[in-house]
Amino acid sequence: MEKNFKQSSRSGAVAWLLQRISAVILFVLLLFHFLTYHFLTRGRSVDYQQVLERSQSWWFPLLQFAFLLTALYHGLNGVWSVLEDYTASRGWRLVWFSLLLTVGLALLFVGTLTIIKLYTLKVA
Amino acid sequence: MAKIDIHVNILRYRPESDEKPRWQEFAISVDDESTVLDVLNEIHWQHDGTLAYRRSCRSSICGSCAMKVNGRNVLACETPIHRFGRKLKIEPLSGFQIIKDLVVDLDPFFEKLQRIKPYLILDKSLPDKEFVQTPAQLEQIGESTLCILCAACSAACPSSWPNSEYLGPAALLKAYRFVFDSRDDGADQRLEIVNDKNGVWRCHTIFNCMEACPKKIKITEYLSRLKLKVVENSL
Repeated sequence: MEKNFKQSSRSGAVAWLLQRISAVILFVLLLFHFLTYHFLTRGRSVDYQQVLERSQSWWFPLLQFAFLLTALYHGLNGVWSVLEDYTASRGWRLVWFSLLLTVGLALLFVGTLTIIKLYTLKVA
Repeated sequence: MAKIDIHVNILRYRPESDEKPRWQEFAISVDDESTVLDVLNEIHWQHDGTLAYRRSCRSSICGSCAMKVNGRNVLACETPIHRFGRKLKIEPLSGFQIIKDLVVDLDPFFEKLQRIKPYLILDKSLPDKEFVQTPAQLEQIGESTLCILCAACSAACPSSWPNSEYLGPAALLKAYRFVFDSRDDGADQRLEIVNDKNGVWRCHTIFNCMEACPKKIKITEYLSRLKLKVVENSL
């Protein structure tokens, strides 16, 4: 019995801490996102042209990439922690983990492409 | 007190004859100020002597009579039936093996409690008189010492249901109670035990334990403090 309760490097402490840190980062990034996209619009209403202009500021790819990474980590880590609760077998855990990793990498790829596209799109 | 007619559905299970648990309805007349335990006693004494349930102190101190009534984990002895209207649905606590009717096997629950060493561990020599604790030090653990080990919290925890190895809120609360006790020297040992994939990290702050606790202990909050302590200790 005792052996099941020994400390291990995969105890969950790091995942728990990173989940909290990523939540704080997400909150700050979200505030920044709303401020820059929806409120600091110099009196103009938000339209496609304006979003496109903003998307081509030097900070846009940095902000959006940070957003993408943090949101993906936070979301997938949360789902993984729930799946761990309900999946006892190592085999199924490996299947779920691989699936989450694949989904994460695919979304990272698509998200990165979108950020680059928006940054390099020619403003009319 | 006035008499009222109520319908009580009880999940029955007799291991010697039942393949699986079944519902049995009783239509009885009881005092309107009755508790759930009074209702069970009435059924046991006047209608069906084979009904099995645990009871002892009748003062919500012993923790024997925790069960699920209309979907909520309660202590039968302290819960008035007027909270539920005229229809009661009584089941044993979830997540435990049923021994008979409302009696569940709590051995795994107490085994987990033992794992976190639920007693004072001392490295220092005993003081001449009593240990001195400041009001602030006592305040830190005061509420957590009120736990009566009724298992209502662990039975309400969704993380406990699929994972029989998870320590569960009651054992973790007991770990908190000693880790944060200024008199205790066993914090490192206990933090090592709870810092496990089946320890404190399986708690996802769902708050079911707090809702179920008949002593209204802020279990989730204390487990969050325990998590922070584990992380601080690891860094």
